[in-house]
Amino acid sequence: MTDTFQNNVVNDFPDIVEVEFENIDKNYLKVIYINFLLVFIPFLVGIIVLHQLVFPEKINEFIVPIYIVFFVLFGFILAYLVASFTKRKYVLREKDISYKCGLFVKTLTTVPFSRIQHVETDEKPISRIFGLSSLSVFTAGDSSDDLVIKGITKQKALQIKEFITTEINE
Amino acid sequence: MNNAFDFSVFSRQSPKGILVIYIHLIYKVIKVSWILLFLVLKDFSRISKIGENYIYLSLAVILIFLLIRAYLIYKNFQFKIANEHFILKQGIIKKTSTSIPFHRIQNINFKQNIIQQIIGVYEVNIETAGSSKAEISIKALSFLKAEALKEIISKSTDYTHEIIEKDKSKPILKIGVKELFKVSLTENHLQNLVLFLALILGFFQQIEQVVDSLGRTASLDGFIEESTNALSASFFLVTILLIFLTIIALMSSFVKIFLIHFNLTAYLKEDAFEINQGLLTKKSIVLKKQKVQNITVSTNPLKRLIGISFITFKQAISGRVKVKKDKLIRIAGCKKDQVDVIKTSLFDVTEVENKEKKYPDTYYKRRIFIFTFLFLTILYSAIYLVFKQVEIFYSTLFVLPVTILLIRKKVKKRFYKITDSMLLMSSGLLETHLIYFEIFKIQNIKMKQTIFQKRSNVSDIIFQTASGKIKIPCIQSEDAVKIYNHTLYKVETSKTSWM
Repeated sequence: MTDTFQNNVVNDFPDIVEVEFENIDKNYLKVIYINFLLVFIPFLVGIIVLHQLVFPEKINEFIVPIYIVFFVLFGFILAYLVASFTKRKYVLREKDISYKCGLFVKTLTTVPFSRIQHVETDEKPISRIFGLSSLSVFTAGDSSDDLVIKGITKQKALQIKEFITTEINE
Repeated sequence: MNNAFDFSVFSRQSPKGILVIYIHLIYKVIKVSWILLFLVLKDFSRISKIGENYIYLSLAVILIFLLIRAYLIYKNFQFKIANEHFILKQGIIKKTSTSIPFHRIQNINFKQNIIQQIIGVYEVNIETAGSSKAEISIKALSFLKAEALKEIISKSTDYTHEIIEKDKSKPILKIGVKELFKVSLTENHLQNLVLFLALILGFFQQIEQVVDSLGRTASLDGFIEESTNALSASFFLVTILLIFLTIIALMSSFVKIFLIHFNLTAYLKEDAFEINQGLLTKKSIVLKKQKVQNITVSTNPLKRLIGISFITFKQAISGRVKVKKDKLIRIAGCKKDQVDVIKTSLFDVTEVENKEKKYPDTYYKRRIFIFTFLFLTILYSAIYLVFKQVEIFYSTLFVLPVTILLIRKKVKKRFYKITDSMLLMSSGLLETHLIYFEIFKIQNIKMKQTIFQKRSNVSDIIFQTASGKIKIPCIQSEDAVKIYNHTLYKVETSKTSWM
């Protein structure tokens, strides 16, 4: 285990509410922006093409409101993405890992190490540019509801992975 | 002990297995091609002599091909036991070799469908928590060999000193035809009816597709339209239809219960349950107590009247696969003392049952009311927009009181009791389900709070177990945090293995 990484939060009777959670990496916001643009730009191009080439005169009369609705909609989506970004937090304690997220629906998940079947880290193409990866843990049963932390540095993800792996094997 | 069989070298199943596999293969072929067969049979008289010969020829070729295949499957299917592992080699062209350690095995089931009953062999299924693929199914074994195999596997390290007096001891539960009749009378007929209708509908859709491709839709459509018009005009017919549906619902409940639970006997052993049941397909399940994740005791008003309930055992499943219905192990028609015996043999339940009931916050009731009435309003507006008749609103006189009554029932049934080590969760609408669960067996825990819940300071707690979710909705946030912390503490300090 390297020196930079420590598990400072150790309680005898752990209270999840009083624990200090860590934010995920700030660079991940850039990943969110890029992902957003990757969806937004094709839509924008699509609507411009429709405006210029396809729509008959009758619809083009309303083109300004259509653009407004379009931009407001995507504006809201962007605002939601950015606002919910600050709510994504995680913490590693002596015996478990927790993650919380959500703007309108707040969710807090904790997985004890003793129930983890395996740990996975993976890097998506855009995340890789910023040296980020995501960490998933899997337990028995329905694994769709286990814990995934997106947007932590690759180095940290590997450290956590190694830490959990040694904990499991003990 | 039965040492007549040597499992340390590779052995095959009983040669009769070829027949079982052969019939299974034929059944599979018929299942995928029954529409084709149906078409051929329907127009059989119109096929010329030469065409007829071709059909017989191809049929013979298919049957011979399947026979060869069945023989090869039998030939290449070999198993042995080594080193506390069950090892299986199979595959004709693609060879696979499976090895399952004994402690991973969840249960060993014996099954006998009609053919297996006639030729007197047993099918042995070895199930693990893994995906359905890892399951091992030995299609034909003689009874003695199957018993010997079961004994060796279930006698894994922990249970070496198991006493073998249990066999043919008194069952804790035995259900005869009369009791089964009672059970099927009190079943959830509505659910069975819907299942049955879905089955029929699927069947008709397939037929319709065929007829459609033949270009006869027009006449069929005309027929349906005519009959539906006549139907809607006549109140008399509707009544008859209702009576007819009721009879069908009752019948389908009967058939279902008799097929699955015929001759149900359950034995309680040192470390396991043994459950035998089935009419056409006899099933015998050995269920290790340690592998039971949770049990649900369910009942409904009718069942409560004659004092029976049924118990569902849940075991660990992995992956996102939906729980197969036949993997759920259910004991129907338990009397109260039998339920008690089963419960106490699994967990220490007295403490949790004596705890006081804790109900969700009133927010829970409010939320259900709001959502239901929102839904009803939208539904009624939609219907009104379509039919433009004020008369439909008369039905609210009936619908509203029933809805309110049902919601009140649902809310009243939602409670939980929690102790240091156990959780008892009650839910249901018409039926009542009581889930008994040991807290240290959870896999992960979630706490959820929407912005609406935040104002009332309530949260949901969701326990993720190896056999599905258990949710406590809308409890006071401070209670939720307490339960959350306690659960984690329990899991992290427990030394007992969860399966």
